[in-house]
Amino acid sequence: MTRLRYLLGEAVDNIRANRTTTIIALVTATFTMLGMGVFLLLYLNVQGALGSLREEIKVLVYLRDTASPQAIADLRARVSREPAVAAVEFVSREQALASFRAQFPSEDRLLNGLGENPFPASFVIRVSPGHRSSGSVEALVQKLKGLPDVEEVQYSRDWIENLAAALRYLEILGWGVGAVLAASMVTILANTIRLTLYARREEIEILKLIGATSGFIKTPFVLEGALLGGMGAACSLLLLRGVFEAAEAKIALKGTFWGLGSRLAFLPGRVAVLFLILGIALGCLGSWVSLMQLRDVRR
Amino acid sequence: MIEIFHVSKSYHGRAALQDVSLKVEKGEFVFLAGPSGAGKTTLLRLIFRADVADEGQVLVNNQNLAHLKASAVPYLRRGMGFVFQDFRLLPKKTVFDNVAVTLKVVGVQEGLMRAKVYEALRSVGLDHRGEALPAMLSAGEQQRVCLARAIVNDPQILLADEPTGNLDAPLAVEILELMKAVNLRGTTVVVATHNRDLVSRLRRRAVILEEGRVVERESSEA
Repeated sequence: MTRLRYLLGEAVDNIRANRTTTIIALVTATFTMLGMGVFLLLYLNVQGALGSLREEIKVLVYLRDTASPQAIADLRARVSREPAVAAVEFVSREQALASFRAQFPSEDRLLNGLGENPFPASFVIRVSPGHRSSGSVEALVQKLKGLPDVEEVQYSRDWIENLAAALRYLEILGWGVGAVLAASMVTILANTIRLTLYARREEIEILKLIGATSGFIKTPFVLEGALLGGMGAACSLLLLRGVFEAAEAKIALKGTFWGLGSRLAFLPGRVAVLFLILGIALGCLGSWVSLMQLRDVRR
Repeated sequence: MIEIFHVSKSYHGRAALQDVSLKVEKGEFVFLAGPSGAGKTTLLRLIFRADVADEGQVLVNNQNLAHLKASAVPYLRRGMGFVFQDFRLLPKKTVFDNVAVTLKVVGVQEGLMRAKVYEALRSVGLDHRGEALPAMLSAGEQQRVCLARAIVNDPQILLADEPTGNLDAPLAVEILELMKAVNLRGTTVVVATHNRDLVSRLRRRAVILEEGRVVERESSEA
């Protein structure tokens, strides 16, 4: 207990003794972690949006006007048996017309001019959760196209696939930027610790003479790195929260995001804790790098 | 306690010690005397394993230091105390903390630590200066703090490298008297000094070194 208190006290003393360097390192660590946080937040939100879109995947099957009620009933039964189909809703020609009129009342005159109902009857198919990949949906669409009395099949493939591709690019970019930011944070913290090490060279020499183990000598510096990394991560989380709330309020996106039912969300608690641990780990790594470079401490 | 057999050591091709042999018994007080550059400090550095001999063997408590792993060196040094000419105190720490650090390194509990630190400071007459910073002390007082730090952990061996080099004669005698007291409690003491007067005054065994060789062995007259 005495030793632990001593080691922690030494780490805090190190930080106090090099106040200016520590503040600069802390500010830099905060903004570096903020950069990582922004990417993480963006990634998680796009991923959330994609998940919502996938849940909303609907396949529209337009039927020929010549299809008899019996043929439509048979077709519905057949479609319902498909494993990829979660639910089938029938929309008659009249329902489609009424729905259009309700959504676009200003176009009523146009419809009256046509004389007859231009809308075909259709099935709205909701895809089962296990069959929402583009391959599964595509297979279902091809099967539906081959059925009798089916005029046309539509679904929002391009939009979902584009977003999935964007997410993949964002992930690759995130890893790249994250690696660069992490490396720069380790370098900055390593330099800060190195300054402390040089300032305390004589003290290290004395500690070695009185029988301090390598671990005893190094621990305060590792703790200093961990404290700086952890504080940097915590400050960046606070900043990120502030930026997030300001952005959310300004863009007025409190409701749905892109009208697709997915809300903008801040980092979940578990991810925030992992983010803090990442900051601490990067701080420790920075200390370790500077300690490895100091031959006097290694001996 | 300390056995040195035909030891040689060179730095950058320049011989610091040549074929030196020496034996220090448990509880003995020995001077390593000789002019600057005679090899006194090198010999001390070999004993506390800051360096390893190029040739020959150094044994401390029957332990051959050439075979000692780097990770075992701190444990060897915990049985030793060190006093230096330049004191080597931590300038930002109080006298108490300067002495206590030796015990913190080995994980002594707070209560026992306080008792031992004050006992060590009392033995060098500085128990009333525990809260002072080194800069507030005279040179003689700083050296006494250094001695307190060296003996607080009850070491088996006390090594002193020119402990009186920065002190005037009366203070030098005072420090050596304190070391004699430490020796009387059973600690083996090895003092390196260029001051032959002090050696004569204390009447302890002296090994005289010149240019890296033992040139004379004076026996104790005490």
